[in-house]
Amino acid sequence: MMPALQRLALPVLGFAVLLIAWEIAGRIAGPALLAPPSSVAVEYVGLLRQGEMLRELGVSLRQMAVGFIAACVIGMPLGAVMGRSAVADAIFRPWVSMFVVTSTAALIPLFILFLGTGLMLRVTIVFLASVWYITLTTYNGARGISPQQIAVARSFSASPLQIFWKVILPALYPYLLTGARIGIVHAIRAMVLAEMFVIIGYGALMHRSGLSLDTGQLLGLLITLMIVSLFFNWVLGAAGRWLAPWYDLQRVTA
Amino acid sequence: MSIARAKSVPAPRQTHGAPKLEARGITKFYTRDGNRLLVLQDFSLSVAELEFLVLLGPSGCGKSTLLRIIDGIEPCDAGQIILDGKDVTGTTGAGRGMVFQGFELFPWRTVMGNVAFGLEVAGVGSKERMDIAREYVNLVGLNGFENSYPHELSGGMQQRVGIARALAINPTILMMDEPYGALDVQTRELLQDELLNIWEKQRKTVVFVTHSIEEALYLADRIVVMSPRPGRIEQVIEVPFARPRSDEIKSTPEFLDLRRDIWQSLKKGARV
Ligand SMILES: Nc1ncnc2c1ncn2[C@@H]1O[C@H](COP(=O)(O)OP(=O)(O)OP(=O)(O)O)[C@@H](O)[C@H]1O
Ligand SMILES: [Mg+2]
Repeated sequence: MMPALQRLALPVLGFAVLLIAWEIAGRIAGPALLAPPSSVAVEYVGLLRQGEMLRELGVSLRQMAVGFIAACVIGMPLGAVMGRSAVADAIFRPWVSMFVVTSTAALIPLFILFLGTGLMLRVTIVFLASVWYITLTTYNGARGISPQQIAVARSFSASPLQIFWKVILPALYPYLLTGARIGIVHAIRAMVLAEMFVIIGYGALMHRSGLSLDTGQLLGLLITLMIVSLFFNWVLGAAGRWLAPWYDLQRVTA
Repeated sequence: MSIARAKSVPAPRQTHGAPKLEARGITKFYTRDGNRLLVLQDFSLSVAELEFLVLLGPSGCGKSTLLRIIDGIEPCDAGQIILDGKDVTGTTGAGRGMVFQGFELFPWRTVMGNVAFGLEVAGVGSKERMDIAREYVNLVGLNGFENSYPHELSGGMQQRVGIARALAINPTILMMDEPYGALDVQTRELLQDELLNIWEKQRKTVVFVTHSIEEALYLADRIVVMSPRPGRIEQVIEVPFARPRSDEIKSTPEFLDLRRDIWQSLKKGARV
């Protein structure tokens, strides 16, 4: 274990080195190619003041939430059933394995044809980008549930329903949470991607600032997106630790 | 041939009238990669009321399988389990409690939550089951750890939780599958004494599985030595030591003789 001071100082140092390198590179390249952090900071304050960025972000995130929640509602039970039933596994796994490696960007033009450019498109793209990760993480968890723990429950004459609520669900819990954490990162990415295709919402802001050769603004928008992703990831992790103190001890691999 | 050997075993003692538990002609196959693995063949055993019976046998001879069949969580291919004169083959409950090999606690439940599990499943009200669970937590000496999670406990403490969880439903027959196999010698001996204490107080029929000859001799009224797979009865030993027993019996000539005797019969069955 590193001493606490080092654990804190090293990332800060790394960050500082990056900022300085960026500042130097930015001053050489000029703001049209790479705005230096000093001017990004100024632009960023402007973006916050002006309010459009946060307004669009709010709208986009709300639409993203619809797709993401739908992905959880479908993906979690699907993964659980696939993990517990050989029949469901045989039916669905080929599809899930196929879709999970399919690039979401490649699907967007196709879905524009089906769904147009409205809300449905964005929700669908977000859904498709995150549901497979949620499904597969839950699936792995469900497969890994110890048969011994189920045997314990059966030994106490637990009914199948009791086994589901008292053993399978709690055993799955860390995987549901990890699935959600991976899923939300993919969902946010897909949200921006879809919006850049149909030029709407937060994605439209990014699209526009890219075209206007305003890298300061573009970088500012990217930073906000990064913060949002990290924030959601952290919230889900913290919620897990709070709701389930044993959670940290379970090593979860997705 | 194996059947002939099983038949040569002396008839089980029936000191308390009808046996508490009987396994009659249990046969069990596992199918693995298309191969049938014969684990138990025509295995019969009878356990008297309040008897402390120890099953001793080499790894893989089917001890856990037999306990799981008795407990009703594993189906068998032939034979019956008779408990208190009733056929309970393939069903659980009816006064059976099981302590599992390797603890098998629920990591998401506290000590209290684990101990209360069986009562909760049986529909006992929250207040009542907490009272009962607390009583058993105290019985196994875990007061102060009611709200700890299993990962915060030592191996010995986890095994105590496993025992309290099985005792909390007040079973009349307690099955214990190598409960101390994973523990160090000191902890093991401490827990053996605790178990005997509890057994004196709570009067139960016990079927206890172990690899350890010393443990078997220290705990048992009767030891059933099993052969390697398929598990058959190799030898039955009545353990003569008076109770309560203490560590001293382990150095008596009688103890050492019996130990050598059992060692011989285990070795005879071993295929090296
Ligand atoms: N679910 C299963 N599927 C296939 N084979 C199994 C299964 N469970 C046990 N076996 C096999 O059956 C045999 C008996 O297993 P069992 O667990 O009853 O042995 P044991 O006497 O308890 O051994 P140990 O002392 O090591 O715990 C072993 O050869 C084991 O590999
Ligand atoms: Mg075993």
